[in-house]
Amino acid sequence: MSDLSRLLRVELARYVHRRAVLVLLGACLVVPVLVGAMTLWDSRPVSADDHALAEARARAECMDRPRVHNDTAGSIDLGGLCLARVSERTEELLSRPPLDLDEEREGGSGPAVASLVAIALLLAGTTFTGHDWASRSVSNQLLFEPRRGRVWAAKAAVVSGAALVVAALVLSSYWLVLATVAEARETLRPGQLVDALQMGWRASGVAAAAALLGFAMTTLFRSTVATIGILLGFAVAGSLLLAGLGVSERWNPAMNLVALIDDGTTYYDDKCAYYDAGHPGDHSCAEVLSFTDAALYLGTIVGLVCVASDRSFRRRDVP
Amino acid sequence: MSTPAIETVRLRKEFSTRAGLRVAVQDLDLSVPAGGGVHGFLGPNGSGKTTTIRMLLGLARATSGEMRLFGESVPERLPAVIGRVGAVVESPKFSPNFSGRLNLRLLADAIGAPRSRVDAAIETVQMQGRDRDRYRSYSLGMKQRLAIAATLLKDPELLILDEPTNGLDPAGIREVRETIRGLGDAGVTVLLSSHILAEVQQVCTSATIIGNGRMLASGRVEDLLGASTAFRAVVPDPERAVAVLGAAGLSAVVEDGGVRVETTDAARITRLLGEAGIWLSELTTLRPDLETYFLRLTEAERLGREP
Ligand SMILES: Nc1ncnc2c1ncn2[C@@H]1O[C@H](COP(=O)(O)OP(=O)(O)O)[C@@H](O)[C@H]1O
Ligand SMILES: [Mg+2]
Repeated sequence: MSDLSRLLRVELARYVHRRAVLVLLGACLVVPVLVGAMTLWDSRPVSADDHALAEARARAECMDRPRVHNDTAGSIDLGGLCLARVSERTEELLSRPPLDLDEEREGGSGPAVASLVAIALLLAGTTFTGHDWASRSVSNQLLFEPRRGRVWAAKAAVVSGAALVVAALVLSSYWLVLATVAEARETLRPGQLVDALQMGWRASGVAAAAALLGFAMTTLFRSTVATIGILLGFAVAGSLLLAGLGVSERWNPAMNLVALIDDGTTYYDDKCAYYDAGHPGDHSCAEVLSFTDAALYLGTIVGLVCVASDRSFRRRDVP
Repeated sequence: MSTPAIETVRLRKEFSTRAGLRVAVQDLDLSVPAGGGVHGFLGPNGSGKTTTIRMLLGLARATSGEMRLFGESVPERLPAVIGRVGAVVESPKFSPNFSGRLNLRLLADAIGAPRSRVDAAIETVQMQGRDRDRYRSYSLGMKQRLAIAATLLKDPELLILDEPTNGLDPAGIREVRETIRGLGDAGVTVLLSSHILAEVQQVCTSATIIGNGRMLASGRVEDLLGASTAFRAVVPDPERAVAVLGAAGLSAVVEDGGVRVETTDAARITRLLGEAGIWLSELTTLRPDLETYFLRLTEAERLGREP
């Protein structure tokens, strides 16, 4: 067995033996199950029981309506009018959108599940290496494999590879289950499953990159807390900060993430050259941010952090 | 002469701190012969022992100077020699949530050592029964033993142990010292760093002494520390004993109710006092404590002569 594959196996063993990592991987399974169950429940088809229940409620609403007299035009039976509209009212009460994979993929549970999985895997990458630094066991590891570049690469490969596999499995299963149910409910349209699966795979790539970023930042700062602090700070204030600096939405990482997951997105740029004579003063216009442009931009950021992380790991003294 | 196990030439390490540049190691020429035996690396706290060891092992970057392990330039050729070198730097450093065994297994796997080595190492340091418990539940002595077990995974020719008895109870200290002596006798070359003079005297055959990052002396332990220069004699009448010894040309003073005599020849003291009818009830070697010793060495260095 070559040195590098040996090292990969060791790092993988280290990864799956960390309790915090296992907890986070567990969250990657539990969260989609919960969100999926909720989604399926909220879109369940109307049963005869549901119908009877709703109708009873609609009738009960009418019981409160009194018979009102109008002096000039005779009497109006409000209760009777109400009863005449019971079937309409019943439909209203039952209104529950059926399961629609496109809806789930674009704005429903899909993006939520993908983000949560990516965040969990980012934290797994962070805590995996943060623990090495906190326990100072890095120095012991280097006494057995002093080629630091290899150690960095092996850890990075394990962290991002595990994230890719876990995210792809989880997200693919998520869409397969939803599609199977939609099929059974006869709401699945052709092409929907493929679109959803592709979104899941793009999101898996994002999750792998997030895990790599978490690992690289933690190796750079040698602290889990520093990494999470910086990422959290940016998540909370980043968009505001960029907007305040007058940076175009084009360069907002959050917008680019959306473009990655949705295979391109549209954003509104205040500073674009477009000028509509019909709307003087409105200088903003829609711009398309493609998947490729977003991937290049975010990929460059992650790449630069990785280069800095690897260099610092090779050069700095290890406690 | 064969290639030394450790060799440094004008080794230097500077740390830039908030208070400015701190030179932790300067112009250190360390040479430890290969072929077995325990070499002491003696110096007070903060004298640069750990820093030197970390540089040798590639954990810290030297500011300047050369280092070689078994003739191979370090850190460039470290991957080629690290398999022959076991080391414990400062406190043991393992993953607290893993068992001792898992910690060892991951290290053994990293160098492709067979699993049987893990069993053997655990047996050597007598940790059977506790090896599957979490590392965090171990006593300091057990952590220290696990660290030594980790070095044995490589079957090393050179062992670098940085203050391995720090924090241990007397029984633990004795155990570790015996283990080290045993390894030295078995042909392993050991560099034992310590700030305890007596430890180096008990365990080492040769030693290098450093203070403030500089080498102060190096050589055989008996030459450096062994030959005692003073004795304490307990006699019924100290004043008369001082007179007798003084008459024979020895420097002697009353001290703490006994007599302090400056000489390397204990037999002469007994003979002189016995001839004068003074019977010794006690004669002990007065070893200089480390502080006194270092003061003497640094003083000597300052004055530019041999200690
Ligand atoms: N990372 C560091 N940054 C700044 N100064 C350091 C660092 N490590 C050690 N030193 C300083 O270098 C000197 C030597 O330390 P050290 O090698 O740990 O000594 P020893 O092991 O002999 O006790 C001390 O003055 C210490 O404060
Ligand atoms: Mg030290």
